[in-house]
Amino acid sequence: MALLKLENITKTFGGLMALNDVSLEIEHGELIAIVGPNGAGKTTLFNIISGVYRPDKGKIIFEERDITRMPAYKRAPLGFGRTFQIPRPFNSATVRENVAVGAMFGSLAGKVSVDDSLEIADRYIELVGLEAHKDKEAGSLTPVEKKMMEMARALAMKPKLLLMDEAMAGMHPKDIDEMVRFLKKIKEKENIAVVSMVEHVMRAVVGLAERVMVMHQGSKLVDAKTEEALTEPRVIEVYLGRPPDESK
Amino acid sequence: MVKYYPLIPVLAIYLVMFLIGFYIEGMWQMVALLAFYCALGQSWNIFMGMTGYVDFGYVTFIALGTYGMALGISYTHQYEWLGIGIIFIGLILALFLASLSALLESFIALRLRGAYFAIACIGINEGLKHFIEGARIWGGSDGIIFYGALIQAFGRETSNHLTAFWADFAVFIIAALAAILNIYYMRSKIGYALTAVREDEDAAKVMGINTTKYKTIAFLTSGLLGAAVGAFAWGVKLAHVYPGDVFVIHYTIECIVVVLLGGAGTLLGPVVGGLVYGLSKYWLAVVLPGFQLLVFAPIIIIIIVVFPEGIIGFVKQKTKSTPLARYII
Repeated sequence: MALLKLENITKTFGGLMALNDVSLEIEHGELIAIVGPNGAGKTTLFNIISGVYRPDKGKIIFEERDITRMPAYKRAPLGFGRTFQIPRPFNSATVRENVAVGAMFGSLAGKVSVDDSLEIADRYIELVGLEAHKDKEAGSLTPVEKKMMEMARALAMKPKLLLMDEAMAGMHPKDIDEMVRFLKKIKEKENIAVVSMVEHVMRAVVGLAERVMVMHQGSKLVDAKTEEALTEPRVIEVYLGRPPDESK
Repeated sequence: MVKYYPLIPVLAIYLVMFLIGFYIEGMWQMVALLAFYCALGQSWNIFMGMTGYVDFGYVTFIALGTYGMALGISYTHQYEWLGIGIIFIGLILALFLASLSALLESFIALRLRGAYFAIACIGINEGLKHFIEGARIWGGSDGIIFYGALIQAFGRETSNHLTAFWADFAVFIIAALAAILNIYYMRSKIGYALTAVREDEDAAKVMGINTTKYKTIAFLTSGLLGAAVGAFAWGVKLAHVYPGDVFVIHYTIECIVVVLLGGAGTLLGPVVGGLVYGLSKYWLAVVLPGFQLLVFAPIIIIIIVVFPEGIIGFVKQKTKSTPLARYII
């Protein structure tokens, strides 16, 4: 049984076709990267999955349940977690409170008290290595720390599916390697499917993903194992253009 | 229990205010005015402080509360067996009218954000005022005068006592209740959800927070407390109500100033704000009659510039990681 199934999703903004008949299946515990140049429709796809937008056409099935028309806040408790391209911490709250919000309203919603949530938060804060900043206001963190805090917040939601929006853009290669190791470890431990969206940090794609979906101008170009996808001529063409002799 | 320690200074301030008013001759009126500002600030803070939405129509709730009390008393005063019960009927009517309006407003206005929300609230307030005046319901622009009804129900002496003491006493109770609700919300899921809404509403939704639900809870609570303040501080105390007197945006602005002076989203802030605002307004009116507003405005501007997070926001930063911190939020 697939964890998440997108069936022929189409989304237009005015005259712009942001997504054109995109289908995708994600299994439990899979690590998949969605790759594509700027404007390929990756963020729109993420917003459709997490419920920020509704598709014009197509269906979204999560664990055999049709959630196409379900608002975002109802999806989170089913097991969705998300981080944002530009971190969106709740600035005036402390790191601990931020992460606790994840525990409180994620898939554990209704099952944990505020105190439990704070305890869960402590655990994930330690996991991402922010113990020292636990009681700081989230707004005062550095950009990388904010990303780690968002990661902890998303993980505290105990998701089955973690959507990571450009989590590794702008990070130092060493940090990226560490993040990749971290994600793999988490995935093993908690059986989370991770969908990470990547524009051009190929280091992350190669290190992390088992499968890659390449998008181009709103359509799915390639969906294959990582090595295959990245050597695929059509993918190279999207990123680098055609070799000069062929374009004549 | 440590979670509720910040209530101690708030309730202590209310108690001291009450004792000063009760035991020192001639202080009751001033203390009652201060309690009025504290109660309103505290009530308003539950919504605005926690969500960051600025409700310019807040006075609608106070006004409807006043009307509820006026209607309750003037319709039921002839039933002698109800006794003091008519005040409770008035209060229930006040809360009922306020919740109707809160639900209506949250249905319309809470879908809007920022300035649009503020404008929609002003619109509802003005609309209601003109509706009452134009449709001539509830006495139209002549309002409802129910001091006679009070006397008929309770006799002259008890009525005097009611308007001069118990009405203000009720405001103290409401102020304390508002403080308790405030901290209860802050410490529960509701507070976390509202903080998330204030900081980033869209991210909050993706995190699984039903933003509309939590905003409505805060809005309703804040509105009901405002209505209760109106029912006693304007209703029972003055024993009359005119639409032109109660649906006045001026009072909303006062709430905003009280909360911002003290520190929005803090527990002690509205109390300190209410004291500072009430005292300086009172004092300036005595020493500089006629010029008070001219002097008052720059004072408020200076305070806001020096303490952008409010007085308590500033104190909170200064007392961080001292033993005092657990008493101040």
